[in-house]
Amino acid sequence: MTTVTLQNLRKEFGDVVAVKGIDLEIEDGEFLVIVGPSGCGKSTTLRLLAGLEATTGGRIEMDERDVTGVEPKDRNVAMVFQNYALYPHMTGRRNITFGMKSSGDFTDEEIERRVEDAAETLDIVDLLDRKPEAMSGGERQRVALGRAIVRDPDAFLMDEPLSNLDAKLRIQMRAELARLHSALETTTVYVTHDQTEAMTLGERVVVMNDGQIMQVDEPQALYDFPANRFVAEFIGDPAMNMIPVDIEDGRAVHDAFTLPLPSVDEPASTDRNGAGDAPLGDTQRAVLGIRPEDFHLPDARSDDGLPRIDAEVNVREPLGDSLLLHCSIGATSCNIQAAPRTAVRAGETVSVTYDPARLHLFDAETGDAFYHSESHHSTDEQVLSRASK
Amino acid sequence: MSTREIFDSRIESGLLLLPTLLVSVVFLYYPTALAVRTSFFDSSFGQADEFVGLKNYVTLLTDSGYHSSLLLSVVFALVVVVGVIAVSLYLTFLIHEVDTGQGVYLISVIWPYALPPAVGALVFLFIAHPTLGVLTGPIEALGVDVDWFNDGPQAFVVVALAAIWKQIGYNVIFMIAAMNNIPDTLTETAELDGVGGIRRLVSVYVPIMTPTLFFLVIINTIYAFFSTFAFVDLLTSGGPSNATNILIFDLYQEGFSFFNFGVASAKSVVLFLVVGVLMFVQFRVTDEYSYYGA
Amino acid sequence: MVELLQYAKRRAGALRGDHATETTHGASAGTHLQLWLLVFAVVFPIAVALIVSTKETGVVTSLGDLVPGSYAVENYREALVDYRFGRFMWNSLAMSLVIVVGKLIVSVFAAMAIVYYRVPYKDLVFLFILFTLLLPVPVRFIPLFQLMNDLGWSNTILAITVPYIASATTVFILRQHFLSIPTSIVETAKIDGVGPLRFMLFVLLPMSKGVLVGVSIIMFVYAWNQYLWPLIIIDSEANQVAQVGLQLLQGDVQGGQLSWSLVMAGSTLTLLPPLLLMIVFRKPLLETFSIQQK
Repeated sequence: MTTVTLQNLRKEFGDVVAVKGIDLEIEDGEFLVIVGPSGCGKSTTLRLLAGLEATTGGRIEMDERDVTGVEPKDRNVAMVFQNYALYPHMTGRRNITFGMKSSGDFTDEEIERRVEDAAETLDIVDLLDRKPEAMSGGERQRVALGRAIVRDPDAFLMDEPLSNLDAKLRIQMRAELARLHSALETTTVYVTHDQTEAMTLGERVVVMNDGQIMQVDEPQALYDFPANRFVAEFIGDPAMNMIPVDIEDGRAVHDAFTLPLPSVDEPASTDRNGAGDAPLGDTQRAVLGIRPEDFHLPDARSDDGLPRIDAEVNVREPLGDSLLLHCSIGATSCNIQAAPRTAVRAGETVSVTYDPARLHLFDAETGDAFYHSESHHSTDEQVLSRASK
Repeated sequence: MSTREIFDSRIESGLLLLPTLLVSVVFLYYPTALAVRTSFFDSSFGQADEFVGLKNYVTLLTDSGYHSSLLLSVVFALVVVVGVIAVSLYLTFLIHEVDTGQGVYLISVIWPYALPPAVGALVFLFIAHPTLGVLTGPIEALGVDVDWFNDGPQAFVVVALAAIWKQIGYNVIFMIAAMNNIPDTLTETAELDGVGGIRRLVSVYVPIMTPTLFFLVIINTIYAFFSTFAFVDLLTSGGPSNATNILIFDLYQEGFSFFNFGVASAKSVVLFLVVGVLMFVQFRVTDEYSYYGA
Repeated sequence: MVELLQYAKRRAGALRGDHATETTHGASAGTHLQLWLLVFAVVFPIAVALIVSTKETGVVTSLGDLVPGSYAVENYREALVDYRFGRFMWNSLAMSLVIVVGKLIVSVFAAMAIVYYRVPYKDLVFLFILFTLLLPVPVRFIPLFQLMNDLGWSNTILAITVPYIASATTVFILRQHFLSIPTSIVETAKIDGVGPLRFMLFVLLPMSKGVLVGVSIIMFVYAWNQYLWPLIIIDSEANQVAQVGLQLLQGDVQGGQLSWSLVMAGSTLTLLPPLLLMIVFRKPLLETFSIQQK
């Protein structure tokens, strides 16, 4: 039952500014994921929340209590680390109880009862009498989770908890974390560099870069309406294509093509992304963003009245479920995702079309998004209609 | 960015550091300062100290006996360091090369690490004794007249051999760790290139082990200067005719046979400078290597 | 992986004596032979001591005399009782244990403060402790001798233990080890509110068992083998340590009042404690040495 508020939070290490004044509201019971490249300040933010680092400026509040200078142990948070941080000389049970016993806030019976509960929830009863060296990576992380949940903390802070696991186990543990969260409903802040983890786990996702928050939104909204180039390129794999264009009379003009920009009933995305509402009529330089899967080879869509774009295929990468084509459109390199068994060869020139509802424009200088060819309003319908297919 | 500094009570940390600092100040720093002070005084048992300025140092500068002791120490250190490094390196290489029995070989050559110098000295005194020694007969059969109680160079060799013997263990301990750290792929590349045996040791392993070897050169030098006292004391007492009178033994005699505390203190200060220079060189070179990521 | 397989195959081939690997096989036998010779040379002096300590007179003038005698029990009894080696050994043991335990406690405290406390001037304090490496006993034994006389500690166990309690080496090794404990474990303790005492007793020390054993062996060997300082500061036979006890035996044997077999018995006795400890605890010892060099 905890909301966490960060106000203008700053952290400097000597000359290096790791966190550049961020504001964030974490809602009660929310699973919030902070994602970003290494060195973006996401782990530092989490450590500031835990109290492991002292803030340089700003405030942290938990349930409207100012905890900025409060010792970690008095914040009632539990942290789960990438390397599990289990005491190697203690059994699973002792690892789970050691911290609780140190705090002195719990009776022995209470501790005993909670350990049994947690062990049941996490299915680690067998591990309680083993030492970490006799556990697999997944088992260790389960015990570490057990240690976190027995204390019934106000918030879980997780620092890349799945990064040391192999790919298969990671997917399994991901589902388990989601299940655990829906059972416990404890406010959770989860840091990762892996966008798939961020998208699948987060109720909301914070994208950070260079000590600043780039965007906070629900996963699908991040994907569909990136607020800037950074988010557009960071979320989604393979990344969104960025094509320099000139905007002239509502059209995007490139050396190799000209395509009309559908007019939007709401002015571009000012509501959620805070992007500017530059008029599309004027001539200006911009960057056109199209995701690889929003390109289509002609046979995929018949005569739709959309312009065709010539793309020369340089390299083809069969990914099994799709075929990724590295192409050149004029002087610009582009990735195009095609149906898996499309007969296209390297060196061939293909004529492609695109999804007119999935165009994004970014300011050439600032990188801020100022146009999405579809409003949020219509997205919801689109989602529904796609889901029904 | 993560930190181990999880406590911040100054009183607690002060209390934790107190015993080490107290003993360091009282029994290490203070006596050293006292030695520096005494080196400017004429001082001996049962008489008041008299300030004499640099007189004790001038004595050292002009005392030819001290000069030869200094030279002797340098030569002795050189012989011991080269001898220890060469023997230990070859031993380590052989142990590294064999497939079986590594553990047994290792323990049978590193045990002298535990050897008390006094024991080493007495055992050497016995086996190489000019009249009673087990080895004396065989060596004399080679045409050498074993007479190191009277022959200076022979005495020097005996003390040096004993000192080398004792230090092999310590050196092999560090060398085997360094050699085992060399990736197998490198050994195999060398083998494929036809670089075998001693050449592989000299041109592949030694360059990679340079940081360790350098560390050992410094440690062995300090050992030769300071920790070989027992060998000299028990084997030769600095003789014959000062042929084994290295600085540390000379200092001991100055202090506790002649009770010239002033001069002895000046000699201590000289020794302090010797350690200081060695340590300084070690830190500098270690730093340099760390830049190369070695 | 492929390399590993090839390597394993080649080794297996060598064991079966495949003709393709005959050369390596031959070289390996040569390597073993060389190792045998060198190991023999390293062990020979101490083997002689052991054999002589069982003989009646200890007159061993040729290699043919090197067969064990039947006076072992008698010789060791005589050394331990009549020549008070039991007493010397006990004094050495007491000295070494006090030094080991004292150093260990004091150094764990200091290293804990240096690694786990966020306090100002910490690095300076660490440098201050490290700097004592420059101040070995030979640099300061003259003023230290006077200091002990002033304190009235001469001839007591205090004089041969307390000055050794502060140890730059031990603090350094422990600090290096503490720095290798993952920060996340330390931070978990902080989040859980684990206090310093609980942290030290239940987290730090159990996670340092190997290193604590390793440094204890290093400290014991160092303490047990001290010769110069006890020689200077202890002048009553009842309080003397084994190393200097050997010197007393040596004086007697050179004077012709004592048989060499007794001296070798004394030497063997003096060698045994550090040697046995080293052999039994060689694994943590070697691991600790590998920390020291970093």
